Amino acid sequence: MRHIVHILENDFRNFFRYKWWLVGLISMNLTDLFIMAIVYNRMLNPAIIQQIKSYFNFFAPGLTVTGLFASAFMIGREVNMEKRREVHQYMLSLPMTRFELAFGRVLSGGLRGMVYMSPLLATCFVFVGLPTLEQFLVILVVLFFLAMGISGLSIAIAVSTKSLDKFVTARGLVYYLLFFCSSVFYPFSLIEQLGREGKFPMFLVAFARANPLSNASDLIRSFLLGTPPFSPEMIVSVLIFSAVFTTFAAFAYIKLIERA
Amino acid sequence: MKRRRKREAKTTRKLLYVVERDVRLFFQYKVMVIMRAIWFVSQIAFFGLIASRMVAVEDYFRYYVGGLSIMTLYSAAIFIGFDIYEEAEHGVFEYLLSLPVTRRQLVLGRSIGGGLRAFIYVGPLVCISLYVIGIVNPLNFLLALFSLFLFAFGVSGMSITLAVVIKSSDRFDILMGVLDALIVRLSTAMYPLSFVKEANPLYGWIANFNPVTFAADLFRWGAGIEAALSFENPLLPFLGIVMFFAFFTFLGIILYDKTIEGGGWR
Repeated sequence: MRHIVHILENDFRNFFRYKWWLVGLISMNLTDLFIMAIVYNRMLNPAIIQQIKSYFNFFAPGLTVTGLFASAFMIGREVNMEKRREVHQYMLSLPMTRFELAFGRVLSGGLRGMVYMSPLLATCFVFVGLPTLEQFLVILVVLFFLAMGISGLSIAIAVSTKSLDKFVTARGLVYYLLFFCSSVFYPFSLIEQLGREGKFPMFLVAFARANPLSNASDLIRSFLLGTPPFSPEMIVSVLIFSAVFTTFAAFAYIKLIERA
Repeated sequence: MKRRRKREAKTTRKLLYVVERDVRLFFQYKVMVIMRAIWFVSQIAFFGLIASRMVAVEDYFRYYVGGLSIMTLYSAAIFIGFDIYEEAEHGVFEYLLSLPVTRRQLVLGRSIGGGLRAFIYVGPLVCISLYVIGIVNPLNFLLALFSLFLFAFGVSGMSITLAVVIKSSDRFDILMGVLDALIVRLSTAMYPLSFVKEANPLYGWIANFNPVTFAADLFRWGAGIEAALSFENPLLPFLGIVMFFAFFTFLGIILYDKTIEGGGWR
């Protein structure tokens, strides 16, 4: 456990080295909320107003999840850089087991995501409403598992290539697919409707439903806004995503850095 | 007379070398080019398509695709500032200064190159947009295209100006990110001006004078999407773009010209 704490400390030091960059990112996220969401609020179609009431309130939980995603994904860039600069050999020489090293990296990626996301979640609570204590704990646990899964996904991509270009391209594809094919920006009913009309492929509709970003955003919405109604599927989907990618990333990290 | 003409041709050739170098340099960033293209297509295929069902704005899908082209043009033109930092960090500045081109040719060439490469890059994406939204009046479209060209030069000049004023690449990176978020969101790139004004009069006031608003609306006017334009007379946004172009191109040139001497870029 002590060794994992050392890994966490190292990764958090790296994270806070870019503090101005983090401030910049948070301000960009807030710009989305306080400008874009407020304007879209005025543009909503009456059928959607009945469903979500206010776009600002609808978007605030989605924004929290996108912030969490972007920051938890940052660990992949560092792991990829270590692989390119061959720092991984130094990491392997440290007096700790491979599992501690791998788990520590995934855990630190997830915890960094949680730290970055907390001001966005606080903003969401201030403007949208407060959950009960139990709901708050459920939100934190689900977001933590989501962050772990995202961190695992980014590490798995990072160790699978030595090229920064390939990593950045793969990251972009994952970003856009998970962000836009989800209910982060718009209600899931619209994606379903387009699917029914044949304007959106059904496999993308199924993907949007299973997308952990959709489920995490909808979970926060269900607690703060009451819509969509809470369903245990929301938690299960995030837990499965997290379990798969955390385990996969830990093993991929161990195997691939040893082979490199 | 003949000698003078020969000298002018030589000067133009040198300027073109600088422009060519910047254009070539841009296309070396293959990942950035690919990423922006993926972003553009996914914005149309996902966000544009789904958001058009969410809002009560007539023909919002075509409206959004028009604005998206301008957002992409803006982000490609801004990239010249990052090149200036890269060159300063890797000692390429000294090499550039040692070339047999005058300072004025170097500076002017960079500004033209910055705008031109953004325009070349956005060309195929604009073609995709036009395939989606169509053109009604080719003459209007040509005029709109010319104003976008000036807009790209202006943005490139603004990026050069900020890059030479702010001497830390980290601060520049953050500032450009925040500025990008503000300048795009406080414009009509994503939504009609009437809704921006309704949401907050201050936002509306800023959007009214935002060069991204001028460019987005002129592009839509050129493509024949006239349902939610912010102006009645296209001359007004055109003049706004000319002023933006003139201000930042010349300011960028003057500042860059002054900064490159004596290691002032460090």
